[in-house]
Amino acid sequence: MNCSCGVGKRIKDFVKSALFLDFIKGMHVTLGYLFSKSITIRYPDEEKWIPYQRFRGRHTLNMTSEGKELCVACELCSKACPTDCITVIPMEDDTGIGITDRVAKVWKVDLVRCLFCGYCEDACPTRAVRLSREYELSTTDISRTKFEKRELLLPESVPEQVHGGGIAKAKFVRSKDGIKIVANLGKMKKMRW
Amino acid sequence: MEQIFFYIFAVIAVVAAVSVVVSRNPVHSALFLIVCLLQVAAIFVLLRAPFLAATQVFVYVGAVMVLFLFTVLVLDIGRETVVEYMHSHAFAAVGAVVALFVVLAYIASRGTITVPQGGFSEEVLAKNVEVVGRALFTKYIFPFEVVSFLLLIALVGAIVLVMNEKGSKS
Amino acid sequence: MIDLALIITIIIMVVKVGLLTMILFSLPMPLTWIERKVAGHIHARLGPFRVGPHGIMQPMADTVKLLFKEDIVPEKADKLIFKLAPLIAMIPAFAVFVAIPVGGTWTVPFIDQEMNLYVTDMNVGLLYILAMGGLGIYGIIFGGWASNSKYALLGGMRSAAQMISYEVALSFAAVGVVMMSNSLSLVDIVNTQGGGFWNWNFFYLPVGPVWFFIFIIAGSAEINRIPFDLAEDEGTLAAGFHTEYSGMKFSFFMLAEYIALVTVSVLAVVLFFGGWNPPIDYTIPFVPIAFIWLFWFVIKVSVFIYMFMWVRFTLPRYRYDQLMNIGWKILIPISLVNILITGFMRI
Repeated sequence: MNCSCGVGKRIKDFVKSALFLDFIKGMHVTLGYLFSKSITIRYPDEEKWIPYQRFRGRHTLNMTSEGKELCVACELCSKACPTDCITVIPMEDDTGIGITDRVAKVWKVDLVRCLFCGYCEDACPTRAVRLSREYELSTTDISRTKFEKRELLLPESVPEQVHGGGIAKAKFVRSKDGIKIVANLGKMKKMRW
Repeated sequence: MEQIFFYIFAVIAVVAAVSVVVSRNPVHSALFLIVCLLQVAAIFVLLRAPFLAATQVFVYVGAVMVLFLFTVLVLDIGRETVVEYMHSHAFAAVGAVVALFVVLAYIASRGTITVPQGGFSEEVLAKNVEVVGRALFTKYIFPFEVVSFLLLIALVGAIVLVMNEKGSKS
Repeated sequence: MIDLALIITIIIMVVKVGLLTMILFSLPMPLTWIERKVAGHIHARLGPFRVGPHGIMQPMADTVKLLFKEDIVPEKADKLIFKLAPLIAMIPAFAVFVAIPVGGTWTVPFIDQEMNLYVTDMNVGLLYILAMGGLGIYGIIFGGWASNSKYALLGGMRSAAQMISYEVALSFAAVGVVMMSNSLSLVDIVNTQGGGFWNWNFFYLPVGPVWFFIFIIAGSAEINRIPFDLAEDEGTLAAGFHTEYSGMKFSFFMLAEYIALVTVSVLAVVLFFGGWNPPIDYTIPFVPIAFIWLFWFVIKVSVFIYMFMWVRFTLPRYRYDQLMNIGWKILIPISLVNILITGFMRI
């Protein structure tokens, strides 16, 4: 014991331990938590997490509202990538679909190598590449970790117009590929984490 | 009925007691000793002495044997040590056991059982604890106090031993 | 000659013991679920939720899993004792309940027969329970030793030392109860507490509450619950004495542990909170008194079981030397002083 603690403090400590005051305090804290609301997200079959827009998930390639690809195959994303996971092969485009006459013949990303740093996003001059809110990337098939342009051009499951993050109720969708569980965006609870 | 149970308990007790001595592994010996003590407690129950039986289990099986086991585990007595120990003292031990049995046989043959058997009424048996307590604190108060004093001395002795060790270290 | 009355007595006894065993065997299943639910909610989680509504079928799933798990016996283990240890742990846990009364003597309506809501009323009931409770330790020591693993051995040795230390305090608490109630028989102990909650041993001021706290602290040390669960200290000993056990053998240890939890709760109720006596005597017309007794008994025991779970998820674990200090330097001196005071009060 320090010399600073006098008889008074010792008596106080004794009374405190004799009446289990600290113990009761602790029990009170846990009792509070017992009746507090659970923070569990019952992913995936009851609830699903919707990340914020700033979330960096799988890449997407954007299109204009008329359905033209924004990507001009400048290869800046590929150059900026610290892990060399993006492969871009440009080609001349004479169909007139592209904004310019240069489009990507191949735009491929290897998600096993990707570290989701977002440099490709920053480097892109046309805002074609974006890291989306797609986070369910786990797979048992290594070929599912490489994404081609065709898949990346598909619309995101959580459109960009949905602002903020939150928890949405899950919805079972039956398709010919099997049952998928998607977020029911109509029933989304905004959260501030 | 009671006789059948008595023979069951007695046979198990004797077998366990022999196994204590015979088994090579000290932990097995301890296990057999526990079995033996439990059987003796069961025999106490048959003799209408539930208090003694409960005390036997509580003190010997519940506490003393745990201490034994604890010591065995801490010391980690290997088989070799036990064998060696048994060899060097085998003759003396056998001699002591034979002497003990001779004395016991002599006493048993000389003495007569003076306590009347079955002398307790059902009422007294139902108040087993009270009867034992009254006897201990009235008729046998002097031996009782002597025993408690001896135990106290042993307790103080144990503490003093530990204290000395600590003092010499510092 | 066959004595009909004797046969009926034996049949009633067998039925009672069978019923008790069945209840005790099935009790750990809901208890594990409740414990995990309490743990979950205290951690602001939900606990088991996927098997059945609110995860209520989770214990069933666990049981099936344990049944089909591989039963591993370590190669270097002492095979016989390794297999015996779970049984040694389990049997005393069940044996304790023979002496525990859940109700008094009840006259069954319509047939006008008296029935005891307990298996036996031993005149050394409390001593018997303490003795049997003390035997439970052997499952832990032998299991720990026979596994031939250092974690298991250390777990077993720790719990041996712990048992020895706390059994003294527990016995002193029992002595206190015996002094307050003037009997070793649990039925008598409960009967002396009848008539209203002010007669309960807990309210035998000023010593009653002290005895109760000594009992509950030593009791939770005896059954290896947090904050005294050094025998299975995950942080330092893997899983303690049952590190090497799997499958049904492991589940026997868990069974014994949960039954021990129930035992201490039941004892706390019987010794300090009036057993089956309601807080204030009352009768409801057309409702047999036995139901009222059972109702209050179950309620009180549930409260205590819940308290143990609540404590488990509140307190951290004691260090080994702290454990020994509490046992020898705090509980036992307080017990001795308390015996003196109780003795003076009883004169």
